[in-house]
This record gives sequence, structure tokens and C-alpha cells, in this order.
Amino acid sequence: MNKNPLFKKEMTGVQRAHRTLFLAVLFFCSLFFLPACSSHLKKAKFHYAQGQEYSRRYLAEDATASFKRALREAEFVVLRHPSSQGYMLKGMAELNLKIWEEAEESFRKAHSYGFEKGEEWAQQISLLGLASSLEELGVEDAPLRIYAHLLDRSKLKPVTIMAAQKYTDAELRKALQHEGKEREKLLASALKTTQKLSDKDLSCGFYHYLQSQVYSHLADYKKSFEGAVMARELGLPTEEILRDNDLQIIFCYRKLKEELSSDEWGDFQTRYLVWVKKWEWRGPETPDWKKEK
Amino acid sequence: MMESSLEKAVESGVSFLSKVFPLKAYLYFPLLNATLFWALKRAKEWKKEIFSWKVWLDPDRIEAKPDEFVLDFFKSHTALRKAYEPELQERDMETLREVFARLYPILGLEDPFLSALFHEKLESNDFRTIVRDFEKTVGQAKNDIEACGDPPGLIRGLKTFADEMLSLNLDLISQDEVQTVLAEIVKKQLTDKDE
Repeated sequence: MNKNPLFKKEMTGVQRAHRTLFLAVLFFCSLFFLPACSSHLKKAKFHYAQGQEYSRRYLAEDATASFKRALREAEFVVLRHPSSQGYMLKGMAELNLKIWEEAEESFRKAHSYGFEKGEEWAQQISLLGLASSLEELGVEDAPLRIYAHLLDRSKLKPVTIMAAQKYTDAELRKALQHEGKEREKLLASALKTTQKLSDKDLSCGFYHYLQSQVYSHLADYKKSFEGAVMARELGLPTEEILRDNDLQIIFCYRKLKEELSSDEWGDFQTRYLVWVKKWEWRGPETPDWKKEK
Repeated sequence: MMESSLEKAVESGVSFLSKVFPLKAYLYFPLLNATLFWALKRAKEWKKEIFSWKVWLDPDRIEAKPDEFVLDFFKSHTALRKAYEPELQERDMETLREVFARLYPILGLEDPFLSALFHEKLESNDFRTIVRDFEKTVGQAKNDIEACGDPPGLIRGLKTFADEMLSLNLDLISQDEVQTVLAEIVKKQLTDKDE
């Protein structure tokens, strides 16, 4: 090998051209391995996943832009090569952009194309998406039945988590429309569902969050508080849910202040302040993410 | 049909490369050919890979809150309590819940997008205007958000060419066939350019 530092200067024009060509071909070929530059379906998935990341971090503007890009790519996919996954992705982007009617149609079309073996995950996501869009369009019973079915049958955790949230929210909304015994019955059923879920997977923070929300409707603020603390400690899927859970903790703190005897309150407050310190909150009612007033 | 689409894609590939390497016409065929080689080789496994890449829907927060939680939200915010004093005194839960649905994400959860969008009205504690214009303002802002940030120049151009080639379902035609068409088109393009 020529170790002469002036070697570069000694390269002939042809050698330089070959090197340029080699580098250009290498660069060109490497493009095929980049995740963002493959087919439109892959691009749609990439932008969708990116949108989801932004959404989890509570960056609505960037999330909307990414979901719009995902939608454009998915529209291209179904126009050129219609497929169940193409329509599923189109529906998922539309669902996140809150275009309910279009989402419902896309998920319906996804099912009409059929899913192959190994695509059970896509089939369940499409079913969940269909139920969500129907619910947003004002249909009540069918979506609830779909959520219950998926909760019961699905072995996929992301599907179960989403179905659990949708099912619990729908049950709680229904309970709010009733009074007395009917309400109690609906809340008891919601509690049973969330308890079953957290018993099955104690390490899932989101199930504890759901349980805490149901206890709040039952005015059991001690248990609601415990559920919310567990949820915070185990982790929650998005920043928005984490903040909602923090506000639940603060709400329970205020309610318990009204409810507990002075001794009980003293004990509770001591324990509560330990958590506040651990979470690095600025005060008992000021989480770290809250703006200074 | 396939040939004319291929022709079109190659033409735009050559036209793009002639801008990037105006004096290096000899690079066009090897570059485009290399792209085709990879596209042909990987088209099938590519599809398999894409179809097995799983994407999920994320759960939302629980929106159905008990009355006590809604009331606590109003009572714990001084300016808000003042603004909705009559509704709070009458315990008009229907109105309070409607207001809560719009203001809880802003004043409670401090959604960065919504807080910025209603910044001026928040400064003046004009909650009723925020609630009244909520759907319209948010809808307008979401419509105005433009997707941007694609990498400029070379990478974008090459990506476009690669995407066009992949969208032609290249696995349906043989490498030799495509290569022949490609060679002819590039040659024709260069001859036309020289003339």
C-alpha cells in the first residue's frame, strides 16, 4: 500500500472518477437500508410511528404533521396497491387526526380485504379502530361489545390496553348517565374489569391508572390515591395520561384532607410528602410539569 | 404501460442526476443500474419486512370524570371560579362539563399546543371566548399545520427515484428486461442532451 502522504495528489483522473463512482454507488445503495425511504407503506408506518412518539411526548403540532404525512402515504398505498394493511394504516392516521367517518370506512375496507395468517395483530388493531370510530360517530352498544370481546380474547398487550381504556371510559360514561342502583351496578362492573386486568398483570401502570379512575367515581379516594401512586411508579404510556394521573393524586389529596380525622390526616400527609419529595414536585399540589403561577 | 412508467421514472432519474453531476454523465447508468439491482433483489423480502412491521394505537386518558372532580377543577382555579360563579352556584353540571371538556386540557393538563394557541385569551382570563371558539380555532390550526422537513437536494432526489422504481412492482419483471430498458433510456437521454 502506498503510504506516501502525497498519494491523493498523485491519483489519476480515472482513479478519482472510479472512487467517486464507488462512493456514489455505495451511498445510493445504502439508501435502500434507510427506514424512511422504502415503499409508501413503510413510509406510512414510519410517519405514523413518529407521530405516535410526538403524541406520547405531548407535542400535538408535530404529531399532527406526522399523522398527516402518514395519511398521505397510506392514501397513495391504497390508490396504487390496495391492501388490508394499507387501509388499516389509513384508518389509524385518520383516527389520530379525528376524521371519524373516513376512519370508519378505512377500517371497514381493511376487513373486506381480509388478513393473512400472521396478521392477527393488524386484524385486531383494525377491529379496535373500527369500534373507536363507530363510538365517535355515536354508536354505543356495538363498540362496547367489540372492546369486551378484545379484552377477553386478545393476547396482544397493546390491544388489551387500548380496549381496556375504551371499555372503562365507555362504562364510566354510561354510569354517569344513571343514578342510584343502576349507577352502582355499572361502576361495580367497571371496577371488576379493571381489577381483573391488574390482577393478571400487576406490573402494568396503566391498569392501576384505570382502577384509580373507577375508585374516584366510587368516591373511594384512599384507594383511588393508592392506584394512582402505583400507576405513577410503574409508568404510564403517554405524558397526557401521566399528567391526568398526577391531577388525580392531587384531587385525592384535597378530598382526603376534607374527609380524614386530624390524626389520620397527619399520618397521610407525612407519607404524602415523602412521595412529593421522591417525585421532585415543587409542592403537594404542584407537580414538576406545572407552570409557576 | 409498465414500460412507459419505467421510462418516465428513469427520465426523471437522469434529469435529476444531470443537475447533481452535470459533467459526469458516465455516472448515470451505473447509479441507476445499482438502484435497480437492489430494488429487484430486495423487492420481495422488502414487502415481507414492511408487512410484519407492527404499529399500534395508543390509549387515551379517561375522559369520563365524576362530578366532584369537575367541581374541584373549577374551585381550585381562582380566575376560573370567578368566571363561572353563577354556574357553580346553580351546580349547572351540563354547562360546567362542557366547559371542563375544553379547559381541562389547557388549564389542568397544560397541553403545550393548546396553551400556546390560546395564549392571549389565557393572559386576560377570557375563558368564555376560549370555550366559544375552541372547535373553530383548534380545527383551523390543525388544518394549517403543514408537513415539512423533508431532506433537501441529493437525498430527496434519489429517494424519489428509488420510491418510483419500487412502486413499479419491479419484482414482476426480470432484471435483464429492466436493465435493457434502463440502458436504452439513459443512452437516449444522453444522446438527446449532447445534440
